[in-house]
Amino acid sequence: MDILVFVKRVAATQEEELRIIDEGKNIDLSKIPFKMNDWDNYAVEEAVKIVEGRGGSVTAISIGSAASDEVLRRAIAMGAKDGILIESNETIHDPVLRAISFYNFIKKEKIQFDAIFTGVQSEDDQFAATGGFLAGKMGLPYASMVIGIDAIENGYFVLRRELEGGLQERIKIKTPCVMSIQSGINEPRYVSIMGIRKASKVERKTVKFNDYAENGDAVIDLIKWSYPEKKGKATMLTGEVDAVCKELLEILKNKGVC
Amino acid sequence: MQDEAASRVLVCIQCGKCTGSCPESGRTPFNIRMLVRKKQFNYAIDESMPWYCTACNACTIRCPRDVKPSEMIIEIRASLVENGNIPLAIQKALENTFIHKNPWGKPRSKRGEWAEKLDFKVPHISETEHKRLLFLCCVQAYDPRCMIIPVNVAKLLNKAGYEFGILGEEECCCGNEIRRIGEFGLFEELMEENKANFREYSVKEIIALSPHCMNTLKNEYEDMGIKVMHYTEVLSNLIKEGLLKPEKPFEKEMIYHDPCFLGKQNKIFEQPRNILNNITNGKLKEFLRSREISLCCEGGGGRMFFEPEAQYKRNSETRVEEAKEKGAEIITTACPFCVMTLEEKAIEKGLAVKELSEILMEVI
Repeated sequence: MDILVFVKRVAATQEEELRIIDEGKNIDLSKIPFKMNDWDNYAVEEAVKIVEGRGGSVTAISIGSAASDEVLRRAIAMGAKDGILIESNETIHDPVLRAISFYNFIKKEKIQFDAIFTGVQSEDDQFAATGGFLAGKMGLPYASMVIGIDAIENGYFVLRRELEGGLQERIKIKTPCVMSIQSGINEPRYVSIMGIRKASKVERKTVKFNDYAENGDAVIDLIKWSYPEKKGKATMLTGEVDAVCKELLEILKNKGVC
Repeated sequence: MQDEAASRVLVCIQCGKCTGSCPESGRTPFNIRMLVRKKQFNYAIDESMPWYCTACNACTIRCPRDVKPSEMIIEIRASLVENGNIPLAIQKALENTFIHKNPWGKPRSKRGEWAEKLDFKVPHISETEHKRLLFLCCVQAYDPRCMIIPVNVAKLLNKAGYEFGILGEEECCCGNEIRRIGEFGLFEELMEENKANFREYSVKEIIALSPHCMNTLKNEYEDMGIKVMHYTEVLSNLIKEGLLKPEKPFEKEMIYHDPCFLGKQNKIFEQPRNILNNITNGKLKEFLRSREISLCCEGGGGRMFFEPEAQYKRNSETRVEEAKEKGAEIITTACPFCVMTLEEKAIEKGLAVKELSEILMEVI
């Protein structure tokens, strides 16, 4: 089983206070660390686990600047056979453009595969769309929100999709196919620094984004970054503990909490 | 990079001094002598075992054959790390340290936020004359309970007119716990980043707030030509020289807990006691197990990030019980990890735990 996994290098912004700059055109990422998109981490792990059990190969592919090589090295350290960087000078946010570039690259380079894994979404843009667009473009079956792969039969995956309200749907999907992998499907292994250093010795191929961008005009343009509108505010209660507790109780009663 | 084993398991005579010294032995499934034996014969080791070790180093210190069992534990952990087969909580701490340079995954931009609690500006190390660095490290920079330590120490140094500077958000984790978890590659990266900063700013002295940081900066950062001290060493000297004067009386009964990385591993027993005896007029209480044989609080060696499955009475509880029996109202110590592990049990039993700098702030 040969699996392609698309991985993205994203800013690790969860705990950061982001600052909008250039009159809303950009956010300041100059001091923010980067990492592999969390959902892609699960996707790589799932692909590697399948290949470890059945044989085959995992190839990690990333669109991004030269720095995205670090997520390819990480994927290789996790067990991918090799990595390909589709190098772009600027960050490609548009999921349609990303999908078209992946499609063009796979077709032009005649890349063979049985399945393509993406993460459900990326932490930075959260479109959750690249996998779906890619499947549509390639004319392949698509399963989103995959939370479990129960069996791989002759020409089929039997898998579970996560639905609303905690429900899961078990489906059969014909290979070759595209699926977006949900976080929690597995426990991604720890990748040691030594493992990443060893992975650096595995040759990664770099190609130019512009060579695979035909018919790929961005359909989503960034207009402006903005902070969310402030709604309400915190009320600070001060004074003696007994009085503060009484006041708090009164507020909770008025709000219907207790 | 650690290429050769630092431990010497083959010369072990199975005398049992290691198990006899181990703070985990007899109460948890962890048996260090058994693990050394298994390593001698390359027998399989239960993968949950190495994570009980608190890296207190008692086994290595007391071993008559210099086997270094605690280093053996780090080597076993290192092979588990290489295989990616480690407890999830440890994995998260390592991944956070890789990305954010601290085990809690806090933003680097907030590493200097503690200084906002001061009413004076702490200069960047580059702006100082003596190139004396106050090394914060992660727990003091981010943990709400421990953030008071740099605030207090900065105030005390400032009061004594003792010049110092900080690295702010340029500082990264010292790597002491990371090395003990067995992630040698990450330890090396952290060390190189910190050393590059020390070189760039011509650092001459380092005042470490945590004994864990002091230990690795002093003993494991290879030769930097920089004098590394724990803050209690500096404050003890400043009091001796009369530059800091404890003036207010301290009436409460107090007992001192020796942190493993300060006491048994680095032989700093007297300086904290000098400070505390000065405050209590020599009435400082002592644990039965103090100094070289101090009972480990179980906060080292990655145990701050990882809770083992086995249920057993924690050493911190034993420590708090003894403190209470001895009539102490306050347990004091000079390590953030000891503060946090002891405080949890002390609160349950109606005792207070104060970091040494908190005591000093009350009397100066």
